[in-house]
Amino acid sequence: MTDVETATTRSAAIVDRLKAGGVGLAAYLPDSWLSPLIGEVVADPSILDVRVTREDDAVAIAGGAALMGLRSAVLCQNAGVLLSANVLAAFAHHHELPLVVVAAARGGAEDGFYYQMYKGQVTAGVAAAAGLTVHHVDGPADDWLFEKASEQAWLLRRPVLLLCSRRALVGETA
Amino acid sequence: MRRADVAGAIAAAAPGHVVIASLGTAGRAWRDHGGPNPTFYASDPMGAAPGLALGAALARPDLDFLLLEGDGDLVMNLGSLLAMADAAPANLRVVVFNNGRYETGGGQPLAAGALADLAAIARGAGWPFARTVVRDTSVDQLPELLGELLGAAPGPAMLVVEVDPEPSPYGGPGELSGAEAQREFRTALANWERSKGDEG
Repeated sequence: MTDVETATTRSAAIVDRLKAGGVGLAAYLPDSWLSPLIGEVVADPSILDVRVTREDDAVAIAGGAALMGLRSAVLCQNAGVLLSANVLAAFAHHHELPLVVVAAARGGAEDGFYYQMYKGQVTAGVAAAAGLTVHHVDGPADDWLFEKASEQAWLLRRPVLLLCSRRALVGETA
Repeated sequence: MRRADVAGAIAAAAPGHVVIASLGTAGRAWRDHGGPNPTFYASDPMGAAPGLALGAALARPDLDFLLLEGDGDLVMNLGSLLAMADAAPANLRVVVFNNGRYETGGGQPLAAGALADLAAIARGAGWPFARTVVRDTSVDQLPELLGELLGAAPGPAMLVVEVDPEPSPYGGPGELSGAEAQREFRTALANWERSKGDEG
């Protein structure tokens, strides 16, 4: 199987899980690890896809959908989680609006870019401090989290973060 | 033009819209002088109201939404204009209360508040309908202008209403948490939809 086929297979599996969890809207800002998943979401007519210019706007859009009863997700790099700390904390503590953030966990041991490293060092801690439940998705064995995170977010009435490795998103290692 | 007059005119012009109100004086004007529409008060964080309104409108295309937005809230997230232009929901209209300053924060001017043309920025972002109601416009003209906004072709539509600087001191810590305000909104919306169903 080629890298592209592997990534497509991973993306299709993730989208199936997100849909099984009830996700009907996804707001997104690209990351290269997320590119196949975004393509799969955009191609799926059962998920409303929304392009944004900043990740905190994606979180607000997902929150607005949740306000009206539609389960939603944000697809972004973990840098977007850092940028969105204010709105995520507000949704966790103040508004109690549920959503799932599917974030590319850049800056781990598998990542080969020096400028990504700081994100890997701080994202989980910042998200936890903001009041989010944080899960690490390291590969296909963790795919159930793409489905169950929505349920958990709605039960908790706050955002849930999935920090996804490259292997989890595109099925390959660095 | 006073904020209260704008809120009152909106209440008369848009009785069938679900309202998303930004934090600050725009939301307070609506709370004090607006209509009985189901209203979600976006509160903090600043800059989130446009996204909340867009997500709500996309989630419920069967409802008409009106975002009542402060200019300070909008300029904190001008990128939201691009997201709204791109998504182009047919059921979302926006009124911006524009006085060029952070009224609640003490009246400090917005960056380029005296220079920027928010309606032009919206048009430049791809909004097919974005107009300014200048400050010396008669209140009597508001119904017609709001009618043009609400009757504009489907797609993003915005009316930027220049309002007078007016004191807007903090009214205390607030009576409701965001979660409580959300529950009030959900209840009001359910009752409102039920009553509309009964009318039908």
